[in-house]
Amino acid sequence: MNLTKEDVLHLAELARLELTADELEETEKDLHKILGYVERLQKIDAGGVEAASMPPKSEGWRKDVALGCDEYTRELILTNFPDKKTDLLKTPGVFETPKK
Amino acid sequence: MIMTELNKLTIAAAREKLDAREISSEELTLACLEQTRSLNGALNAFIETYDDEAMKAARAADKRRDQGERLGVMDGIPLALKDNLLNQGHVVTSGSKILAGHVSAYDATVVRKLKDQGTVLIGRANMDEFAMGSSTEHSAYGPTKHPRDPERVPGGSSGGSAVAVAAEMALAALGSDTGGSIRQPAALCGIVGLKPTYGRVSRYGLMAMASSLDQIGPMTKTAEDAALLLQAIQGEDKADQTTSDALPFIPDWRENLAGIRIGLPRQAWGGGMHAEVRSSVEAAIDKLKSRGAEVKEVDLPYAEEALAVYYVIMPCEVSANLSRFDGMRYGLRKDNLPLFETYARSRAEGFGPEARRRILLGTFALSRGYYDAYYVQAKRVQTLIREAYTQAFKEVDYLITPTAPNPAFRIGEKTSDPLTMYLEDVFTVGVNVAGLPAVSIPAGLADGLPVGMQIIGKHFDEAGILAVAKAYEEA
Repeated sequence: MNLTKEDVLHLAELARLELTADELEETEKDLHKILGYVERLQKIDAGGVEAASMPPKSEGWRKDVALGCDEYTRELILTNFPDKKTDLLKTPGVFETPKK
Repeated sequence: MIMTELNKLTIAAAREKLDAREISSEELTLACLEQTRSLNGALNAFIETYDDEAMKAARAADKRRDQGERLGVMDGIPLALKDNLLNQGHVVTSGSKILAGHVSAYDATVVRKLKDQGTVLIGRANMDEFAMGSSTEHSAYGPTKHPRDPERVPGGSSGGSAVAVAAEMALAALGSDTGGSIRQPAALCGIVGLKPTYGRVSRYGLMAMASSLDQIGPMTKTAEDAALLLQAIQGEDKADQTTSDALPFIPDWRENLAGIRIGLPRQAWGGGMHAEVRSSVEAAIDKLKSRGAEVKEVDLPYAEEALAVYYVIMPCEVSANLSRFDGMRYGLRKDNLPLFETYARSRAEGFGPEARRRILLGTFALSRGYYDAYYVQAKRVQTLIREAYTQAFKEVDYLITPTAPNPAFRIGEKTSDPLTMYLEDVFTVGVNVAGLPAVSIPAGLADGLPVGMQIIGKHFDEAGILAVAKAYEEA
């Protein structure tokens, strides 16, 4: 599989990763090598073989419900916010371009 | 015994001396912290040590003992944690710049269990960023150095944990193993590293790399210590749905190895390993024979494909798991940019080159048009690999290979070509792909550096592989 620079740029966009020109070149080379190695899998006849999956729990999965936390845990979560207003997380606006 | 040498003790020996009141946890902990103070500048095993807190925990353990109380086998024992295990109120970073200063909001289940048993946690050990690497060179906090030769790597990704134990800064450590990250550094540093069966130990609070492969395990000086530490951390956990309700691990030591069948997978012993790695592990196998084990070659089809399967499945899970680091709720955020650029620049500056490489690789393998050919095909071959192990285990009880193809290599030797670094894991990844337990134990030298022998067992047969390991230690 030969990925072009455009392919790698598209992947970087999907993965939300900025790449410098040097990094782009480097990544293109590295992915070429790694994909060249893993492509050996495609020569294996695995038709009809079930894809591996996690065995299900005998008593079923845990219910998807929110659990509360104590005040200390809550405070620690708040300390990790990159930006906040009182106890609310502040994020960049979705439709805004910030003024420099 | 000189008090400053207490850091050389095993967990088992320290436990005995503590219980016999020959030593105190305070003396034991101080010995470890002093060793760390004198060596950590050169070796960079720890990113941070918890000196005051550790001494406080040690004194509390001594006080309990004075009152005739003991919380568990680990009570008062100094231990190192890998920097990807959450420790409430402490900074834990997974060796990454993107989490610099990130404070754990809660304890990982294993950390909680250790605290509940009175374990003295002395610091967080360096690692390859998000556990991606085989040399501990991919840490945002500088490389960790090999204790016998600081120009060489200790292996990785749990290199800091391995060096903390090998250089006697802690009695034992916890690591995590996704493709060999406990066993390979244990082999390169000359200690014991146990990767438990997938599902044996809760991953709750372990920063995820590849969730279907990750497993936490002990890094210790002896097989017996690995057993003690595994007992302290194992068990089903409501907070990790992939933990198993299998019967708990209980050590089952053996007088000898009579009747034990050991298989050497033909596919692993072909070529591609250092000559002295081969001769050292062969000599170790002869010792197992001398203790009564029956050894034969076995066929393990698809063993050579495990690395390729791993390098598809793992990056796919990495790209998904690391998507949470978007600069929004925690971690590094580059400010004053439009939303897309905030994501893209925060991630570009926060992640190192290996993390970025694997994210892009996984993004590719999961993308439309390639998903079936890469991800689904890898998951199918994973099934074939699992079946191959099941077949092999009908013929023999354990499989043995070298842990790593080479002894510790030089810093910088393998960083320019990621594929040569990946090949370091060629003997270890199959175990993760199949979800099996395996232990690496010291088995001689190559170029004067430690070599590891890997013993692989059936699912949940940690008791068996550790019994073989201990029989070898005693041979």
